[in-house]
Amino acid sequence: MSLLEVGNLNVQFHKDGKKIRAVKDLSFHVGEGEIVGVIGESGCGKSTAMRALMGLLGKEADASCGRFCFLGEEGTFSPNKVQKKMAMIFQDPFSYLNPTVKIGKQIEQAVRIHSGGNKKERKQRVCDLLEMAGIRMPKQRMSQYPHELSGGMRQRVVTAIALACNPKLIIADEPTTALDVIVQGQMILLLKRIAKETKAAVLLVSHDFGVIASMCERVYVMKEGTFIEQGTAEEIFYAPQKTYTKDLLKNARRTRIKADATETEEVLLKLSNVTKLYSNRFTQGKAAQKEGVQNISFAIREGETFGLIGESGCGKSTLAEIVTGQKRPDAGEMYYRSFRTDLLKKSARKKYLEKIQMVFQDTCESLNPKMTAGKALMEALRADKRQILTAEERKERAVQILKDVGLTEEDMWKYPKEFSGGQRQRVCIARALIRNPELLVCDEAVSALDVSIQTQILRLLKEIQRRTRIACLFISHDLEVVGKISQNVGVMYLGSLVECGNTQEICTDPWHPYTKQLLECKPDPDPKKARRKKYAPLRERQEKPNKGCPYLGQCGYRMECCEKAAPPRYQFGSRKVACFLYSKEHRKGNTDMPMTSQI
Amino acid sequence: MAVYTMKRITVGMISLFVLVTVTFFLTRMMPGSPFEDGNVSASVTEAMEEEYGLRDSPVKQYRTYMTNLLKGRLGVSYKQQGVTVESIIGNAAPVTASLGAAAVITAAVAGTGLGVWRAVSKKKTVRILLSGGTLLGAGIPNFVAALLLLLVFGVTLKWFPVTGLFTPAHYVLPVLSLSFYPTAVVAEMIYNTFAEEMKKEYVVLARAKGMGFWQIAVFHVLKNAWIPVLNYLGPLSAFLLTGSFAVESIFNIPGLGREFVSSVMNRDYTLIMGLTIFMGSVVIGVNLFTDLLCAWLDPRVRNSYLEKRWGD
Repeated sequence: MSLLEVGNLNVQFHKDGKKIRAVKDLSFHVGEGEIVGVIGESGCGKSTAMRALMGLLGKEADASCGRFCFLGEEGTFSPNKVQKKMAMIFQDPFSYLNPTVKIGKQIEQAVRIHSGGNKKERKQRVCDLLEMAGIRMPKQRMSQYPHELSGGMRQRVVTAIALACNPKLIIADEPTTALDVIVQGQMILLLKRIAKETKAAVLLVSHDFGVIASMCERVYVMKEGTFIEQGTAEEIFYAPQKTYTKDLLKNARRTRIKADATETEEVLLKLSNVTKLYSNRFTQGKAAQKEGVQNISFAIREGETFGLIGESGCGKSTLAEIVTGQKRPDAGEMYYRSFRTDLLKKSARKKYLEKIQMVFQDTCESLNPKMTAGKALMEALRADKRQILTAEERKERAVQILKDVGLTEEDMWKYPKEFSGGQRQRVCIARALIRNPELLVCDEAVSALDVSIQTQILRLLKEIQRRTRIACLFISHDLEVVGKISQNVGVMYLGSLVECGNTQEICTDPWHPYTKQLLECKPDPDPKKARRKKYAPLRERQEKPNKGCPYLGQCGYRMECCEKAAPPRYQFGSRKVACFLYSKEHRKGNTDMPMTSQI
Repeated sequence: MAVYTMKRITVGMISLFVLVTVTFFLTRMMPGSPFEDGNVSASVTEAMEEEYGLRDSPVKQYRTYMTNLLKGRLGVSYKQQGVTVESIIGNAAPVTASLGAAAVITAAVAGTGLGVWRAVSKKKTVRILLSGGTLLGAGIPNFVAALLLLLVFGVTLKWFPVTGLFTPAHYVLPVLSLSFYPTAVVAEMIYNTFAEEMKKEYVVLARAKGMGFWQIAVFHVLKNAWIPVLNYLGPLSAFLLTGSFAVESIFNIPGLGREFVSSVMNRDYTLIMGLTIFMGSVVIGVNLFTDLLCAWLDPRVRNSYLEKRWGD
């Protein structure tokens, strides 16, 4: 028997007198206790459809439904009234929690509405819910504010709120998208466990084939407001019918964009033992904990792409700020070609800073909404003091560079909001390139884009690199993306570079335990493999230990010496690893043989 | 938090000291003498000045004044013979404070109500009327409002008494005219922040929890919408608690504002100094209080204070 049956769901938005059909004739069903996936790219109407089901649409939307049957009751569809026994887990756990209300209170409100009870009973229920959502020490957590928790913890709080109504159906709308890979793995595990324990059905909405593959039994593929394909997970993943699904799958699987070997080129940027530390803001009372980056060393050659990966808060962006000269390192040396740059005064730094340009993650925020694309480009040229161009020349250059990044001359006079996300990122890249930089720093430049657009942008970057021999520091939390584009890669964990070397080697044969965990946590877009996958157990993010290895708290290979001091970097050929497993004393077997992975 | 508060108090003390010093020398630079009067001869004035120590060099006078101040003495009024500055402030301050507090509360309550009403009302006429009303309220200076109220409700309709401050009924007109402008500003701010906060995603989550509209509005949204208002109410209360000369004059209320203006007219040096110190302390105190209140309401602000403590 079906838990939920929906026939011909339509949603329209009224905007400036026009009608926009966001969801068109959607029909589907969810069985009891079933996990059903809905996959589609951003803007295809997934979230709108789910909100319509849940009864969370705003006033400006207009929804109708041919058939709606939930829990065996016919015709209870109401776009503006919240369904009981249905709960929703949202994407971004930060903006969905009220920043000024303690989390215990926020959960308690849901408990009060759905089960009532006196103060003590409610509190007990909140504790139970938090425990069910995988939060340890719920009593202490209850009196904390959302900003005091990590992303994964916040998502668990949102999950606990969803569980408060004893739902029969949980709609999970991109529940793992805003999370780091390792936390994402834990979240998948948690959702699976909850589905099993509460016997609730789950409707999982995601753009990530890996996540869908590791959880769902049946899958719907959505495009422009309708389901274009449906079937069991095996059918969709192994024998897709529609070209759209095939394309999506192809982009999701690793397609390596060919990288050129650049071993002989001159070193462009070199960092050695660069350190920059900040005081941690949430540790009043305790000994002043520091965060930032510590002892970072790597080099980027001309025409090379160096990938930098790590979870959020590991210091990637701090490093980008140091490289681009916005921040001065506390210690260590930084060389640009053969000049030492970390000691330069601000005015002297400018000269080399012009050679480094940046592309940011958020395309909306990094372009001035009141400036057309052409204006933004020409402004960058006008700032160039060395070569003064006439207005005509500036315009010519701007048009040329727009064409280089795959846009047209007409796009010169468009405002940022008239572009799509991918096009906007192209404008950002054009703006960075127009000054002929030698190094491009891309800080999560493709993280906010859909997979197919991501591939396009990566191809574009590669193409530009082939043409101009520009070097690129590519920062991302996504190993997949970095693996596609970079020749060399550095893996960061809590401010330290734990492993560094050739991308291909690291991706196929990780040496550091953290790199291994990162690689393992990425869910494969392959249901059979993904379901078998064992994720690391639910573990709360630990504070950085004051001494010893930064990865100490999470490591399965910890030894006595790991607690005493941070491991130095051991170098084997082009690969550097910061782990005691690779020290002389701990090496297994014959010490004359070349070093192999110890894990 | 305690360290932050201490730091703020220290900074407040220093600014108070600077304020006292600057005011002291400014008063001495004013032309004329406190004892100049058409009816007395120059020699009498000189004798009076001698007695009050005004013939000494300003620096010496300043030293004497500061010594007395540190002992907690504000001195004797030059004009109202034999009356201490403390007693003048002691008489006038409660009058102004009660008026100001009533006006602040009126502005906060009425402003919030009107703002929320405007934000949630489905009737277009109500929204237009309220937005026009706030515009008008923000545009009328308080002395004009006071005169209008006086004319309509005091003189023509005779609903409320017009002078003095003896019964609760006496409060109605001055409080209304004082709170006219702040009410409009608060209403406008609440309207904007409320509408903005209502669009935030935590409201969607609250709806998904099954909370009703007013539950969400009161519990979740108003708390967040109030934070910017609080930042405005701080300086406003300081302004109102230290008196409004125009309104106090129109309704003939013996408050601080009136005392202040007459002290300047009379060149009553000690009274000017006393009132400056008093008002300065009130302004600094109220601003500190609202900042702390903000920190209490918003944990993020609390953290930013703690961050400041670590420097960098």
